[in-house]
Amino acid sequence: MSHELMAPLMFAGLVVVLLIGYPVAFSLAANGLFFAFVGIEMGLLQPALLQALPERVLGIMANSTLLAIPFFTFMGLILERSGMAEELLDTIGQLFGAIRGGIAYAVVFVGALLAATTGVVAASVIAMGLISLPVMMRYGYSKRLASGVIAASGTLAQIIPPSLVLIILADQMGASVGDLYEGALIPGLTLAAMYAGYVLLVSIFNPKAAPALPPEARTLKGGALVWRVVTCLVPPVVLIFLVLGTIFMGVATPTEGGAMGASGAIILALMKRKLAWGLMRQAVESTATMTSFVIFILIGSTVFSLIFRGVDGDLWVENLLIGLPGGAFGFLIVVNVMIFFLAFFLDYFEIAFIMVPLLAPVAQKLGIDLVWFGVLLGVNMQTSFLHPPFGFSLFYLRSVAPKEIKTMDIYWGAIPFVCIQVIMIAIVIAFPGIVTSHVSKAAGAISGSGAEELRRQLGAPAAPVPKDDAAAAIDRMLKEQK
Amino acid sequence: MHALLKLSSLIDAFNERVGKCAAWLILLAVMICTVNAIVRYAVNMSSNAWLEMQWYLNAAMFMLVAAYALKRNAHVRIDVIAGKLSPRVQAWIDIIGGLLFLLPVSLLIAWYSWPALVNSFDIGEHSSDPGGLIRWPVRLVIPIAFVLLSLQGVSEIIKRCAFLQGLIPNPAEHHQETV
Repeated sequence: MSHELMAPLMFAGLVVVLLIGYPVAFSLAANGLFFAFVGIEMGLLQPALLQALPERVLGIMANSTLLAIPFFTFMGLILERSGMAEELLDTIGQLFGAIRGGIAYAVVFVGALLAATTGVVAASVIAMGLISLPVMMRYGYSKRLASGVIAASGTLAQIIPPSLVLIILADQMGASVGDLYEGALIPGLTLAAMYAGYVLLVSIFNPKAAPALPPEARTLKGGALVWRVVTCLVPPVVLIFLVLGTIFMGVATPTEGGAMGASGAIILALMKRKLAWGLMRQAVESTATMTSFVIFILIGSTVFSLIFRGVDGDLWVENLLIGLPGGAFGFLIVVNVMIFFLAFFLDYFEIAFIMVPLLAPVAQKLGIDLVWFGVLLGVNMQTSFLHPPFGFSLFYLRSVAPKEIKTMDIYWGAIPFVCIQVIMIAIVIAFPGIVTSHVSKAAGAISGSGAEELRRQLGAPAAPVPKDDAAAAIDRMLKEQK
Repeated sequence: MHALLKLSSLIDAFNERVGKCAAWLILLAVMICTVNAIVRYAVNMSSNAWLEMQWYLNAAMFMLVAAYALKRNAHVRIDVIAGKLSPRVQAWIDIIGGLLFLLPVSLLIAWYSWPALVNSFDIGEHSSDPGGLIRWPVRLVIPIAFVLLSLQGVSEIIKRCAFLQGLIPNPAEHHQETV
């Protein structure tokens, strides 16, 4: 077997091994190790390469960007369990109830608000499915519109900051989380607006599908309603400011923003007297389990990519993708179509950890702005939550939807929103300005702050600065290999 | 088989204990990071030791919870194909995956992490940042976590074998939960 064959074989092995259905983290790592031994036996790789493994694991443990993942997850879980979504939905539903399609607008609006605070797709979809779906059914909304708008609005958590996908993408591309957050803000809000636009179109052309609430269903009126709106809107707005405001102003790093958000969520839950021991224990355990499996996929993919690079797999992928007709544009189209279809089978974690490290260097070489590329992939992966038959958002909704809503209603309901997503991807490609124009200003603002982490992140895309002692040691080892 | 099942439930109980305790470290990390951020902004003071404490705690949390996550069947799988197979075939996949994927990977990483740990302990390695923490405790987490993971792997294999022999109900079923 020649040297050139190793990388393609390894990639083929990856596909087979992942499809077996054993946990991805260990399959990835085992595939890497198997080829490491083959490579060492054939004299293509140095045995010393394997000694770099624990250092790589340590590098992941020391990665302060990834620290934001448990913080934001924890914050989201605390907010979810303390009933913020329920309160918001109920109140905003009353507020918008009088207009045609009112509850559907409320779902989009609350979806965007929840996205900017909790950022957990499952939580948003389940809350909205439990609260708004029965109301919409009772007052005669079309099943498809109701389920589609709930599933879609729930996925906004994937693209509106502080989304976990964006943290992972930023880490894998060596871009700054703050930049990616700023870049994703306008596309995320535009998406929410487009969902609302779709509801408007439906309510104009098919008024029966999206009726207004009858007066007797609107229990809160006048001053009481205004008061409810104010009191239930204040906590999320405070948190959004605490988290996104401080990050965008350059006062806090995304990691610190996450920690402050989590503390803020605990304080809010305490104030509402919802913070029970059981709630805390659940939130802590769920956060830990989720962080653990996400980071272990990263550990697995690191083992894989260490060996994959050892056999020049990165060069193989690069040659494949750079040779595409149409240059950068051809690359973008192929990558987006590929990810769109991969997302039928893979989670966004898996795509971000396996595909993005292979794609990002090529994108950079083609002169593509990494922040923009990241947001583009983010919108694309958000779609993966929504498209039938494997979209997670659809599963979550199915699990809470009443029986009279058929699975096919949920699938058909999602399709218009998948189309909106595709339009959004096209918009991001056609008008990079909605991502980038916004970020360059901000980058200057952030560099003024003293945070060590931010400086490192901002410097990272141009010239990879050694992240820390562990990462530097690995880089040295890899250089010695070559 | 009964002795093995006994061993399996011992491992399960131990890893559950470890995982549930380690999970609380995230709360500590949240508090330390919040205080750090506020102190840094308010009095413009920051300490590398406290900054590093955040990732020490977080790292210990996700590494030590990994075995418990395996017990809860929380590690992500691609079940496009596997999901359509019978529980017996899935149990076989888990046995073979455990033997060929999980155990070699975990033991190998644990094995290779040992010399670096010993070396770090001997030379009293500190972080390269001024005022940083001593390194060996966090390096120690790596072999511990992967040994725990290997043990859990053994326990899962035992349970799958027992299931195939009809001794226990399907262990993969009642743990599946979304986070």
